[in-house]
Amino acid sequence: MAIIEVKNLAKQYPLPDNKSKSFFAVDGISLAIEAGEIFGILGPNGAGKTTTLEMLEGLVDIDGGTAFIDGIDVSKEPYKVKEIIGVQLQANEYFDNLSLLELLTLFAALYSREIDAEDLLDKVNLLEKAKAKPGNLSGGQKQRFSIACALVNNPKVLFLDEPTTGLDPQAKRNLWDLVLELNKSGMTIVLTTHNMEEAEILCQRIAIMDHGKVVAEDTPQNLILQHAAEPPTAPLHGNIEDVFLALTGHGLRD
Amino acid sequence: MPRKLQFHLARVFLKIFLRDRQSIFFSLFFPIIFMTVFGFVNDGEQDAIEIGIVNNSSSAAAMDFTQLLIDDPLFDVSLGDEARLREELVEGDQTMVLVLAETFAAQNEGSELRLLVDAAQVQQLSLIMPVLQQALISIEREFRSIEPMFTLAVEDVKARSQRYLDFLLPGLMAFTLMQLSIAGSGFNIVEFRRKGILKRLFVTPIQPRDFISAIVMARMTIVLIQLSVLIAFAVFLLDVRILGNFAAFYFVIMLGTFIFLCLGFCLGSIAKTQQAVMAVGNIIIFPQIFLSGVFYPIDSMPELIQPIARILPLSFVSTAMREIANSGASLLSIAPSLLGIGVWFVVSFVLATRLFVWKEVAN
Repeated sequence: MAIIEVKNLAKQYPLPDNKSKSFFAVDGISLAIEAGEIFGILGPNGAGKTTTLEMLEGLVDIDGGTAFIDGIDVSKEPYKVKEIIGVQLQANEYFDNLSLLELLTLFAALYSREIDAEDLLDKVNLLEKAKAKPGNLSGGQKQRFSIACALVNNPKVLFLDEPTTGLDPQAKRNLWDLVLELNKSGMTIVLTTHNMEEAEILCQRIAIMDHGKVVAEDTPQNLILQHAAEPPTAPLHGNIEDVFLALTGHGLRD
Repeated sequence: MPRKLQFHLARVFLKIFLRDRQSIFFSLFFPIIFMTVFGFVNDGEQDAIEIGIVNNSSSAAAMDFTQLLIDDPLFDVSLGDEARLREELVEGDQTMVLVLAETFAAQNEGSELRLLVDAAQVQQLSLIMPVLQQALISIEREFRSIEPMFTLAVEDVKARSQRYLDFLLPGLMAFTLMQLSIAGSGFNIVEFRRKGILKRLFVTPIQPRDFISAIVMARMTIVLIQLSVLIAFAVFLLDVRILGNFAAFYFVIMLGTFIFLCLGFCLGSIAKTQQAVMAVGNIIIFPQIFLSGVFYPIDSMPELIQPIARILPLSFVSTAMREIANSGASLLSIAPSLLGIGVWFVVSFVLATRLFVWKEVAN
C-alpha cells in the first residue's frame, strides 16, 4: 500500500525578475510511494525536487493538489505529519555550543521523546564523536549526524535532500550503506539526488523531474531498458545517466 | 506535555547561551565602565577649578580675597605673575586667571578685577562667576562692616544625599536589560535563521509559542544573572543605594526583560539579515536611550516630546525602577508605571507570537 500519495501537487512562485508574474516550481505532479521502498527523485537544478520535498515536509504551503503521508493530509494536519517523518535538509548547521549527544537529546525533546542518544550515534558510526561539536565534523560525518537527528522520532518516512552532494567517494559509499541498512529495517526513504549512480544503487524506483513535472517514473532497470542508447537485447550496457540525459537534454543547467 | 517540553528546551537554550561566555562577559563590560566612570569621576564633588591669581596689590584686602579663594574647595589656586599665568592659561594648565589691580580695594574707588579666560571654558564661567561675586561681596561687607541681611540655608527634604550615580543606576539597569534582551532574542533568531536552524526546527512538531517561551525563559535567566552582577557591583563597590524592596525591583526587571525579549522576537521576525536586524534594532533602541529618562529625567525634555516619551516601554520600566530604587516606592505606589508595563507586556507578547510564524521566519 502507498505510504505517500501525491495527486496533482503544485507550487507557484513569483518570477525572480518579475514579481507580478509567477511560475510553477512544481506543476501538478502525482506520485505513489510504497511503504518500505527507497524512492529517488532525480532532476536537474531547479526541476522542483526540493520544493516537492518541502511541501511533503510541511515547510512550504501546498498551492494545488493533495498530499497524504500514512493517510494524513499534509496541508490539513502538518503537525501530525511532522510526528511521523524524519527530515534531513540540505543546510545542516546546528547550535554551535552543543555536543552531538546533547543535540540528539534536544531533537528528541522536540518530539517529547527520550532516546538512547549514544545508541543512535553508534548506529551512524559517530559514537567516538559523541562529545564533539558539529562544527568539528567532516562533511560525511555531518551528513551522518543529520540523518541521526532525523531518526530521533523513529520516523516511518525519512526524507533526504541531496544527502551525498559534496561528499568524497568513501563518505558517499559509507552513507549509502547507512541508507540501505535503515531501509532494511523497514523505513521508507525518499531522497533527491543529482547522482545517477546513487539513484541506480539505492533506489527501488525513481521519478525523473524536469520543469516541475515528472517526466518518467519506474525502476532504474526499466528506465535503462527504455531509454538507454544500447538495444535491449544486448547485455545491459548503458546506465541511468544515459536515461537522465535522454530525458532532460544535454544543455547545461545553472 | 507542552509544559515539560518548554522547560526542557529552556534548559537546553540556557546551556547554549551560558557556553557563550565571551559575549556574556563583554555585554557587562560597557555598563561597568560606565558606572565606574560616573562613580569615581563624578563622585558628587565638582573637580576643583584651576585658577591663577595675579596679585598686583599689596593691600590687606587683596590678601584676604586671595585667601578666601584659596580656602574655597571649588578652586585650585596658583599665584604668580601675569605673563607666566597667561601662558599657562593658553596651554590649558589654568582654567582662568584673575588679575587684581594695584588699586585693589583702595578706599572709595570702584575696583575692577580682570578675569582672563579661555573661550572654550565658557560653560564653566557661569558656575564660577557667582562664587567670585560672593567672595567679593563678603570682603566688601567686612570692609564696610555691614552685616548680611539674608542667609540662605539649604535643606534637603529627602534628608539624604543623592549622587548622580544613584539616579543613574536604575535607568542604566533598565537600558542594559533592554539591550541585552533585544540582542538576546532578536539577534539570536536571525543567527538561527542564517544557519538554517529555524528551518530544521520547523520540520519537528514544536509549536512557535513553545519555542518562544523556551528562549524567553532561558534568556531571562541569563539577563537576570547579568543584571545581578551589575547591581552587586554598583551596590558593593560603588556604594549605590537601592532604597526600595529588592523583590519589587526584580519584579519590574523581569517584566521589562520579558517585554524586550518579545520585542526582540518581533525584530528577528521582521528583519531577515544581520544587517537589517542591526538597523531596525537601532531604530528601536536609540530613541529610547534619549527619550526614556534613562540618563536625565523626562521632565527636563521639551514639552512637545514628553507625552511620546512617557509611553515608551523603556520609560515605564526605568521610571518604575527609579521610583523603587531612589524613593523606596512600593509596587502599589507605582501602579501607573506598572499599568503601562502591563500593557506593553501583553502587546509585545501578542505581537511576537503573531509575527513569529514558522513558514515566514524559517525560509
